[in-house]
Amino acid sequence: MRLLVIEDDAALRQSLARTFREEDFAVDTAEDGVEGLEKARLGPYDCIVLDVMLPRLDGWQLLARLRPACRTPVLMLTARDAVPDRIRGLDQGADDYLTKPFDPDELVARIRALVRRAAGQVRAVLEFGPVVLDTAARRVTVAGAEAALTAREYSLLEYLALHRGEVVTRTDLYDHLFGEDENSLSNLLDVHVSNLRRKLGHDLIVTRRGHGYSIP
Amino acid sequence: MKAPLHSIRWRVQVWHGLILLAVVVAFCLTAYQLAWNNQLRRIDQELFSAEHLFAESVMHAAHPPGERPAAHDDASRPPPGPPEAIVEQIRTGRIALPRAVVTRFEGTSPGFAYFLMAATDGRVLLRSDNVPLEVARSNPAGFDTGGNEAQTFSHYRQIVRTPGRGFHSVIGRDITPDLDEMRLFAWSLAGCGAAVWVLGLVGGWWLAGRAIQPIARISRTASRIAAGDLDERIGTAGTDSELDQLGRVLDDTFDRLQSLLKLQRQFTADASHELRTPVTVILSESRRILKRERTVAEYQEAIRTCEAAGARMKRLIESLLLLEHQENAGLPAARRDEPCDLVAVIRSAFDQLQPLAVERGIALHPPTGLVTAHGDASALLILVTNLVANAIQHHRGGGHVWVELGLDRNRPFVEVCDDGPGIAAEDLPHLFERFYRADKARSDTGRSGLGLAIAKTIADNHRASLTVKSEPGHGATFRLLLPR
Repeated sequence: MRLLVIEDDAALRQSLARTFREEDFAVDTAEDGVEGLEKARLGPYDCIVLDVMLPRLDGWQLLARLRPACRTPVLMLTARDAVPDRIRGLDQGADDYLTKPFDPDELVARIRALVRRAAGQVRAVLEFGPVVLDTAARRVTVAGAEAALTAREYSLLEYLALHRGEVVTRTDLYDHLFGEDENSLSNLLDVHVSNLRRKLGHDLIVTRRGHGYSIP
Repeated sequence: MKAPLHSIRWRVQVWHGLILLAVVVAFCLTAYQLAWNNQLRRIDQELFSAEHLFAESVMHAAHPPGERPAAHDDASRPPPGPPEAIVEQIRTGRIALPRAVVTRFEGTSPGFAYFLMAATDGRVLLRSDNVPLEVARSNPAGFDTGGNEAQTFSHYRQIVRTPGRGFHSVIGRDITPDLDEMRLFAWSLAGCGAAVWVLGLVGGWWLAGRAIQPIARISRTASRIAAGDLDERIGTAGTDSELDQLGRVLDDTFDRLQSLLKLQRQFTADASHELRTPVTVILSESRRILKRERTVAEYQEAIRTCEAAGARMKRLIESLLLLEHQENAGLPAARRDEPCDLVAVIRSAFDQLQPLAVERGIALHPPTGLVTAHGDASALLILVTNLVANAIQHHRGGGHVWVELGLDRNRPFVEVCDDGPGIAAEDLPHLFERFYRADKARSDTGRSGLGLAIAKTIADNHRASLTVKSEPGHGATFRLLLPR
């Protein structure tokens, strides 16, 4: 999953990015509204974390310009907790709203829920025959036994699982699993896919030659 | 009316009732007294005329018309005086009183008249048949009324005289009808008085109610305000009554309190808003780092991040306290009038800010002028430091900040100019507001958003004006104009 964090406060931006990365999200950051809007329009993000108070272009304006062309879920972060502020945010197209200071775990859980809903899934636990994927605990079991997946393998599986039945192109996978500043040498998709097949069963992920991968 | 004795209306009513009662009672008593005196005078006149008639008839009886000369003689040779002679005559022989006189003094129907002549030894000389027992038994000597005065004895009014030695005469009359009449009068008077009193009470109750009606309204409004409806106002009827004045004073007070409260709320909201970001950094960073075992370097970095956020909160709190102190404590007149070396103030502000200026590549230029002014040096140092720091921080870097001193129509001024990006016209009116930031966002540079608000407060405390001029792209000039 790839996130865009638009936050002007350097310390908070850094802390958020680290928190998300440790939860195996790919994270891009932007430090003002204009940069944020640019990235949000171009980038293949699964969710955008947007601070309200931003230099150059504030969160409201950014949101107004982003919608309706971009359907990426947006979670707004704000230091204002008055009800009218929250209503305004949600009415202008935000998908969720959190007030500073927030619990980082809650933030992460909300983002997962947003991503899940945007992908059309309603439950946090996805099952594919003997393979059970718990997106909340980020754990995969095969016939009850826990499978040891690397973070990258897990993210790949989660993305494919959330888009179950669709053919996910390699570009999509690159876009959504790796942040803009990540080393491309570690992005060897085929290696990760074959590792997943070895650990979870060969039938789980289908290769559509010339198109991409899919979990049927 | 939960506690009648504490209610103004009740207390007014009680006092009003008591005073009115006293007035009515006094009036009734006086009226009764006057009427009774009148009645007595009338009775007495009647008695005097009866006495006159009686005395005349006794004289006539004692000296029949033929003996008139003898009576005349009596006058020429006094001893024994005519009364004694008459008494003697009465004692020795019966005196026949004229029929008219007898009929006057007979009967016991209410209002009857009587007479009694008695010797000093108590022997009755002459009496009408109807003399009341208690009069007959009493010793009339004790009642001698002397001159023209009559007196009341039981329910009789009588004139008692001792015209000469040896006997008394008592002429009296029953005054029961008069007493009855007076009693009736007293009752009707009491009835009228009571009616007037009750009417007065009702009127007083109504008046008191009307008078305190605005108070009730004021109190209801005040309770609504106390309950939280701060927009509520008493409003006035447009007259200039005492209660209207009170209402106006209260409304003014409420206005002031409301604006203060609004300011306070805004301030609290702003302050908490400003504190939220560093708190979020500390919480999110510490939770993240505690989730699993880390390397020493990772711990150190997280702690440094938290420390920086803590330091930011400390700066903010210090600024808040400084602002609060400058606003609430104000500045005593004595401190305001202290001579203050502005050059020294600017020099120490430069000393403080030199590292920041060097870091941002900005040259600080001290004033060329030399002016002394009056004011609190430590407060003015904060003011100048904030202005210069503001100029440095809003600069893109690599420029100049000048501070100049001078006199403007004998008023000393301090100007802080920079060649930075300037301030947009729409930001100028809000520049001195708390937490107002021209770039609409927080920043990591250590600014609290309060520097210019503090500077403005200090200027106000010195009764100085602090103004700003700026053209976008051509820097900004802050000018502090101190009073002479």
